[in-house]
Amino acid sequence: MSTEAKKVMVIGGGIAGLSAARELSLNGIQVELVEKADFLGGHAIQYACKATDNCQQCGACTVESVLKDVVLDPGIRVHLASEVIKISGSPRFKVQLGRVAVSDNDDTSKICQEGYEKNPVQCAAVKGFSKHNAIYRTADGRLNPDICQTADKLEVDAIIWATGFVPFDPDQKSTYRYSELANVVSGLDLERAKRASGSVLRPSDGKPPRDIAFIQCVGSRDERLGHLWCSQVCCPYALRSAMALKHRNPDANITVFYMDIQNTGNNFTGFYQQCRNDLNFIRTIPIDMYETDDDRIRTRYMSETDGKPVDAEFDLVVLSVGIMPGNDNKALADLLQTRLTPDGFAASTDKLHLTATDQKGVFLAGTVQGPKTIADSIAHAGHAAGEVIRYLRRAS
Amino acid sequence: MSQPNTTDMQKIETASNVLVLGGGLAGICTAEAIAAQGYPVLLVEPGEAVGLKAESRPLNSYSQSEKDTLNKLVEQVRSSENIEILEKTTLSCATGVAGDYRVWLSGQKPLSEKQVGAIVVASELIRNPLNAAYGLEIGGPVITQTDLEHALASETKKFTGKTVAFVVGFGQSGNPLVMERVLRSALELAQIEGTTVYVYVNDLKVAAEELERLYLKARDNGVLFFKLSQAPVIETQENGISITYSDPVILRDISAQADFLVIEEAMEADSANAHLACLLRLDLGSEGFMQTDNVHRYPVSTNREGIFVVGGSRQVKALDQACMDAENAALQVRRLLGDGTRLAPANKAVLDIGKCTFCLTCYRCCPHGAIYWSTENKPVISLIACQGCGICASECPMDAIQIGEFSDKAIHDQVQKSMANTGKAPNIVAFCCQNSAQEAAQMAADFGIALPEGLHLIQVPCAGKIDLDYILNAFVQGADGVLVMACHPRNCKSEHGNTYARWRVNDAQNRLSKAGLDKARLSFVTLASNMGSEFARIVTEFETWLRDL
Ligand SMILES: Cc1cc2nc3c(=O)[nH]c(=O)nc-3n(C[C@H](O)[C@H](O)[C@H](O)COP(=O)(O)OP(=O)(O)OC[C@H]3O[C@@H](n4cnc5c(N)ncnc54)[C@H](O)[C@@H]3O)c2cc1C
Ligand code: SF4
Ligand code: SF4
Ligand code: SF4
Ligand code: SF4
Repeated sequence: MSTEAKKVMVIGGGIAGLSAARELSLNGIQVELVEKADFLGGHAIQYACKATDNCQQCGACTVESVLKDVVLDPGIRVHLASEVIKISGSPRFKVQLGRVAVSDNDDTSKICQEGYEKNPVQCAAVKGFSKHNAIYRTADGRLNPDICQTADKLEVDAIIWATGFVPFDPDQKSTYRYSELANVVSGLDLERAKRASGSVLRPSDGKPPRDIAFIQCVGSRDERLGHLWCSQVCCPYALRSAMALKHRNPDANITVFYMDIQNTGNNFTGFYQQCRNDLNFIRTIPIDMYETDDDRIRTRYMSETDGKPVDAEFDLVVLSVGIMPGNDNKALADLLQTRLTPDGFAASTDKLHLTATDQKGVFLAGTVQGPKTIADSIAHAGHAAGEVIRYLRRAS
Repeated sequence: MSQPNTTDMQKIETASNVLVLGGGLAGICTAEAIAAQGYPVLLVEPGEAVGLKAESRPLNSYSQSEKDTLNKLVEQVRSSENIEILEKTTLSCATGVAGDYRVWLSGQKPLSEKQVGAIVVASELIRNPLNAAYGLEIGGPVITQTDLEHALASETKKFTGKTVAFVVGFGQSGNPLVMERVLRSALELAQIEGTTVYVYVNDLKVAAEELERLYLKARDNGVLFFKLSQAPVIETQENGISITYSDPVILRDISAQADFLVIEEAMEADSANAHLACLLRLDLGSEGFMQTDNVHRYPVSTNREGIFVVGGSRQVKALDQACMDAENAALQVRRLLGDGTRLAPANKAVLDIGKCTFCLTCYRCCPHGAIYWSTENKPVISLIACQGCGICASECPMDAIQIGEFSDKAIHDQVQKSMANTGKAPNIVAFCCQNSAQEAAQMAADFGIALPEGLHLIQVPCAGKIDLDYILNAFVQGADGVLVMACHPRNCKSEHGNTYARWRVNDAQNRLSKAGLDKARLSFVTLASNMGSEFARIVTEFETWLRDL
């Protein structure tokens, strides 16, 4: 019956991987946490607080607290800048890890283009710096080789696959001219900038924007791209960010271009009513972006009331990018000998076992399996940890 | 939180069985998951029988393989030796704390008392047809979503050659669960010979797995979707229904006729939740759910240790969510009850009964329900349930309670010590909640942002532990300014700690004014743990203001 002396590898140290690792460790199971990047926390550790007068339940701060628990947990060995290159054997998996080279400028984020030395605070946000990640680093912000585990061979009894997602690359929708126009940013850029500086400024001139547009469903629910899923998180994060911006700057004039608004979580009705009062909602998705002579972004859309084209100008345009399958999903599915869905997410066996895979001893946690909020990723990770414990008991 | 060393730990016995309230899908999954962890379960169902309820999702919307799995699960739970099932039974009363709850159950058998280590609430969602929102009565051509699902399960011929219209998202904003039912039925109808299917919808709530696909499939199978921002006008006529809406593009009212109108059904929290929450001393969340809108409760926790909420008790979520919650609840139970004994720090909150005047203040203000009244009529703090927030300690009129390493003396000493070696810069004492402001301060430091030279951080377990005394004493010790830094409202791990802090700051400000000091020298701010830059900005601005005085 005992699960003692069992060891589990968790691949991916985002909120899902962290939560799963922590739950396992609390249940007396040793965890090897393998993370490709040079920091823990994945995407969500790069987000900013979206509170107005009240917390808006975005969940970002929960990532800080789970990260802290993991960092302080002696039962969890962390392998940063590492990836799985080979797996053999079953039910006890023999795993070979490889080192990943991480550079300080490997990120194309708009807020971190100058590199760490020139812009440490901004880059730190991109790198998910938090009090707790700091212990893995040296004073100049580089990864501390002494603290990272260097074991390159592991033997484990089960595996949780939690390598998360990639945000949609807005350059794939070229008419938004994301790379070209400084003041067209992605939702992720916005989060990181706010985390770094505590405020939102225009990339072109560092001034606070007044007219701001959020464009929803960028890369999601897009038949042309073949992305036939709703990312579930971009309505919540866009509305919360918009309300936080409006709270900070009541003169801001914020427009949300959308197809359908998805629920943000608890008490959506009340929250949405407030959004309707404070923000402009336009039910159409603009296509083209132009730069005006006075450094603004002009876009054109069809009016909802009379169907005529309308020109609108903004100081800042935020593209609400969605959740796409991770870049390594294919390779990992091969390594783990398990399946992907037609969309490229990791496939679970059925709706009642959303964490189980076709492969014995391999379980899923978080957005690797499909779009999820932070809250749902945590619940999914708990489910995975529970399934792993059951599996280990059955196996012993 | 720094861990006290093991010599301070006390061993506590815990009851090993678990009460699960609600025998629907979530309750069944939970009972199974907890029993699988080796804990005996008492599964209590107020209705006729434990089993899959139509409430949360009608059975005909499950796929056959899902149905098979679920039926097997019900069988397994019914025949499990580790699960005792009590049907037609409700909870009448509950006392005690985590590891040792006493519950009274009434039902078929006379009132019985049981001891349980933990409680899981698994109430189901309630379906509520929203015909009133459209000014309609159910009957004739106006049917509810449930009526339709029953009809589709038995007499599909009824719809051959007919026009069926759905209205959804106007009576309430809706959610993916409601949408999934509409989409499934619409698709099913569209596949019947000669039907025409209209869906009048506000927002398509497709934020769930496979729903966008289901929508596209329905559309591609001929279901016509009309996305409107206002409810259409609906009139019942002799031979059916007329539906009218104004089209923005052609600027005209458009009417359609239908043989059936399907009224959307809201999925809502059970109204019995409020009573149950009262019995269990749980804080209710919004819209009648039993988990406060507080991210620290993810995924299944409540304000009380040892009471968990799953499925429809906490959220509108689908089938798969109930299974996820069940497994999470089982993990939490395992973590709490362990193998029947638990170690807990003995000094979390220590009550000096000699000073106590039995005023009940602590009992009333503890947000975690961690204080109970002993048979000798004295307050007792449960070491397992106590979260060490210190709210009771700060509210106790007799100063009879002290919190581990955050005793009044320790905090006074810390303030005094930090004031001993001060420079020319204004002295700022910042009382920081360890869950938010303290983390943010450290983040600012790790970002390499310069903080004021005269800033002294005093960490507290919760802003609710910041006594009036602490604030006034900081000024007496020579602070030029004092900051009380708490979590944002609704983000406090102890629910109300930040509210207590705000009250005390108001009180202290009045006293400062009376003493002739500018009350702005004392400021209350709220932060989240990830607000490093804001922390730096706030303290720096405060310093500048103090300098300019
Ligand atoms: C712009 C934006 C804003 C959002 N805002 C919110 C919000 O406010 N609230 C909310 O609830 N949700 C929000 N979300 C969703 C949220 O980001 C996800 O729910 C959450 O990050 C999912 O966590 P995860 O652990 O599954 O994935 P990730 O965060 O992607 O973590 C996966 C981890 O795995 C690592 N990894 C990847 N490949 C490998 C490999 N081969 N080997 C080892 N490790 C690997 C990655 O480096 C990463 O650390 C937002 C999403 C976006 C895009
Ligand atoms: S808004 Fe988000 S980050 Fe801020 S306190 Fe609330 S949950 Fe935490
Ligand atoms: S959550 Fe909103 S923005 Fe994101 S894909 Fe869904 S509908 Fe579009
Ligand atoms: S310290 Fe907090 S949790 Fe503990 S008994 Fe006091 S009020 Fe309750
Ligand atoms: S608040 Fe203080 S005096 Fe009152 S009952 Fe509690 S411990 Fe005793």
